[in-house]
Amino acid sequence: MSVAPSETDNESTNCLTDNCAIVGGPTMMNRAVVEGSALALLAVFVLGLWFRARHQARPTSDGGYLTRDEIGFEIDRLQSQVYRWLTTTNHRDIGLLYIAFGTVAALWGGMDAMMLRTELLTPPADIWTPETYNALFTTHGLTMLIFFVLPVFFGIGNYFLPLLIGADDMAFPRVNAIGFWLLPPALLMARFGLLVQVGGQVLSLFLPEDTITFFLSIREVSIGWTLYAPLSVVQPNPQIDLLLLGLHLSGVATTVGAINFIATVVYERADGVDWSNLDIFSWNMMVTSGLALFAFPLLGSALVMLLLDRNLGTTFFATEGGGAILWQHLFWFWGHPEVYILFLPATGLMSLILPKFVGRKLFGYQFIVYSTLGLGVLSFGVWAHHMFTSGVDPRIKASFMAISIAIAVPSAIKVFNWITTMWDGEIKLSAPFLLCAGGIGTFIIGGVTGVFLAVIPIDILYHGTYYVVGHFHLIVVGIIPMLMIAASYYWYPIMTGRWYDKRLAKFQAGLLIFGAFVTFMILLVIGGLGLPRRQAIYPPEYQLAQQIATVGAYIIGLSALLWLYNMLVSYWQGAIVKTTDPWNLKATNQFTREWQWFEDRMVEKYDMEPATPDSTRRSYAPELQPMGLLGGVGTVAEQVYQNASLAAISGFIGTFLMSGGIGTAIVIGVLDPASFGEIAELIGFQQNPYIGAGLFLVAGTVTWPLLFLAFQEYLPGRRMFETGLTFATLIATGFSVAFYSGQQGLALVGYLTFVFVAHWAYGLGLTVPFQYLQSRRKRAMEE
Amino acid sequence: MAEESILFTYVIPFVGVLLVAVGIGGAVPGGYAIIQEDITTCDQPTIAVEGAEETQQRFNTTSPDLARFDYAELSDAEQRTFEEALTDPVGEARINGSFPNAPAFRNGSLVSYEGDEHYVTVVSENPCYVTPALQFPLGVFAIVFGAVGIATPPIYRKLIELEERASFT
Repeated sequence: MSVAPSETDNESTNCLTDNCAIVGGPTMMNRAVVEGSALALLAVFVLGLWFRARHQARPTSDGGYLTRDEIGFEIDRLQSQVYRWLTTTNHRDIGLLYIAFGTVAALWGGMDAMMLRTELLTPPADIWTPETYNALFTTHGLTMLIFFVLPVFFGIGNYFLPLLIGADDMAFPRVNAIGFWLLPPALLMARFGLLVQVGGQVLSLFLPEDTITFFLSIREVSIGWTLYAPLSVVQPNPQIDLLLLGLHLSGVATTVGAINFIATVVYERADGVDWSNLDIFSWNMMVTSGLALFAFPLLGSALVMLLLDRNLGTTFFATEGGGAILWQHLFWFWGHPEVYILFLPATGLMSLILPKFVGRKLFGYQFIVYSTLGLGVLSFGVWAHHMFTSGVDPRIKASFMAISIAIAVPSAIKVFNWITTMWDGEIKLSAPFLLCAGGIGTFIIGGVTGVFLAVIPIDILYHGTYYVVGHFHLIVVGIIPMLMIAASYYWYPIMTGRWYDKRLAKFQAGLLIFGAFVTFMILLVIGGLGLPRRQAIYPPEYQLAQQIATVGAYIIGLSALLWLYNMLVSYWQGAIVKTTDPWNLKATNQFTREWQWFEDRMVEKYDMEPATPDSTRRSYAPELQPMGLLGGVGTVAEQVYQNASLAAISGFIGTFLMSGGIGTAIVIGVLDPASFGEIAELIGFQQNPYIGAGLFLVAGTVTWPLLFLAFQEYLPGRRMFETGLTFATLIATGFSVAFYSGQQGLALVGYLTFVFVAHWAYGLGLTVPFQYLQSRRKRAMEE
Repeated sequence: MAEESILFTYVIPFVGVLLVAVGIGGAVPGGYAIIQEDITTCDQPTIAVEGAEETQQRFNTTSPDLARFDYAELSDAEQRTFEEALTDPVGEARINGSFPNAPAFRNGSLVSYEGDEHYVTVVSENPCYVTPALQFPLGVFAIVFGAVGIATPPIYRKLIELEERASFT
């Protein structure tokens, strides 16, 4: 990259201020102004949307203009509302405050993400400087991890945990309020750099530089969210101190909240709620709180030590003192449990919400509880896997590797139980379900890629690459926000008495899942190719991949805005809930306590009749399982025999049809008949194409039809021919691999085309005659 | 109403969102490229200046072959930037003017200032953002077109209502 020296010396007039290099930092584009303006615009948009929706939803008496009395009434109302929200100790109010706060933090941290992704559209650092880019990923990480995720989960917990366990409120309502109100100043301190920078920009328009030195000496922290020593000790930016204080304050808030959750679950449970039937979300919140109780005080201590090193000359993290590695140990001893503090509430929500939308009770309740407890304990024994590239003793590293691999087991137990819960269920394709399914998918990929990183040699290769970014973002932009949003939809009727826009919600859920997959799968791939993370500048050959990832990130951002729009507008304009059981949970005996609370309230407030379902069954009732498409009467043995014989006839027809396609492929030379010989060899005969073709015919007549009969209920498709086509597509995939003999170019295209078309003919030949014969059989029996 | 059209309810809005996302990726940097010369000073590198103590620590045991300058040898812009970087919270400042010693600074140099030596190097080139002329208009078009796609479901429902109303008249 060539850089020509500047031709003039007076280009400083191009800056917003004469001292722009100091005020805004050495920015290409002024980050403070851009981010401040974007956030201000967003705030105006949200407030405008809220008031517009409210205005449209309320009746207007006369000509539509406000009278003086009405304005006075509005001001009084505003005052009383401000007073109420500032002083409330009601757990539901505080829950909403937490959620609102977390949403603000998410938008702020999300704006950082959009800005840094925009920089990555092009290989050079030509929109932001590298330092600004460093600041963006630092503040993005801190804001999202500390001020977005846990506050939102604490909010959901505050609102619903007491309802789920039948408590009147949290154990310590005033402490609860204090715990929340510590967070806003904590966020302001942590992000003070941006506010000061914006303030400096504005003030410098009116005041001389000497009088606003304070505003010119602070800027956003750019040392990475892990605040590694020695950089965090030696860099003079005073904002680092404010950040440390803000983080410390947030840690105090979290600890206070955690104590409250534990006390509430232990002491405030209603009669009849014990450890064996405590709902799974409350279990998870309790374990999360336990982790927070042990982890956050340690973070607080480490932060104070860093503050002392920076300001009072102590040497905790200096080479001549404790050493820089000490910071890494202390930080990650908090940091890895923090991962589970963020993740466990999401799994609790998954285990609570998913069964409601598949009509089955949660599979393996006890094992899920044990896996949660197991994760809680193990999460304190894996921290050094973040330090595999440091100089820690290899024998100690090996033990951390073993535990890091082992911690995958309880996570896998959860995934197994969720999938088993869904298996053969009556799935309702609502937005909460889509998000649950998307969350499981992203978690599987994010989790499995993490197991690889637990292995020391692999971690050493990939530690500094985008692979790590892709891995953990598939969790933190996968199951975590997806379940937050799923919960917001699931409980929206309770919180507001209205429905959200269901179509928009499904659409938004699909967008979020799609965006997360596109963005972070790309990052996994480019990381696997070795692209280093944390760099504003990258080699041009990665540009296309980075651009696709950026577009994916924008889609995530747009989906977040659509969610916000849905929540705000539906609050005023959503359809009113006219039943006490909006999700028809009574039909499957899953009407849990929070809904009972809702029903009682609706009965009390609106004199509604408690909802009664058309039919009631246990959430898992074998007698009501779908009969499948085969139907039939008679003994099991008779049915098996009759179905098998029909399948054999149909299979023969299907194989005959298929042979046409396969034969044509052989004639035109895109399929090598010799590959049939391998089938004969496979079962011990000589490699002979004729024997192979005979076996192929037998398999097509007997084996595959029987397999189809066994599995067809579980294949996608409403009609039997649809499932037949699905089945054929699946076996065609296997066939195309097994019979591939090195075709290239057009021959390969022809080979694949004939293989798939021939199999689809087989699928239709198998299912259509089967249905025809079945219908004849039924008619004969009826006669 | 007849069964909901998946195409108009979900597929077209999805394509719309894709278009908007791609459009943002094109229009925002494309727009920036048009105005960057008015609001920024791109193509002016950032230098980092280390304190005397750090410089001494850095070269405590090694003595690399670096260019050495006396403060007075630097150009006006270099001198100004050097002083700014020394007082900057992160030790960096942007060259705003003539930069004759750029090749030496890129390689890392030692500057003697008030009796102390300071290690100076270029940490960012800050190149101007280069983009095709069509990127901005096409990006804006994609955003607008995508927004229409996103708004398809309510439009589609309105059209159906209209048709149903028309069938009764």
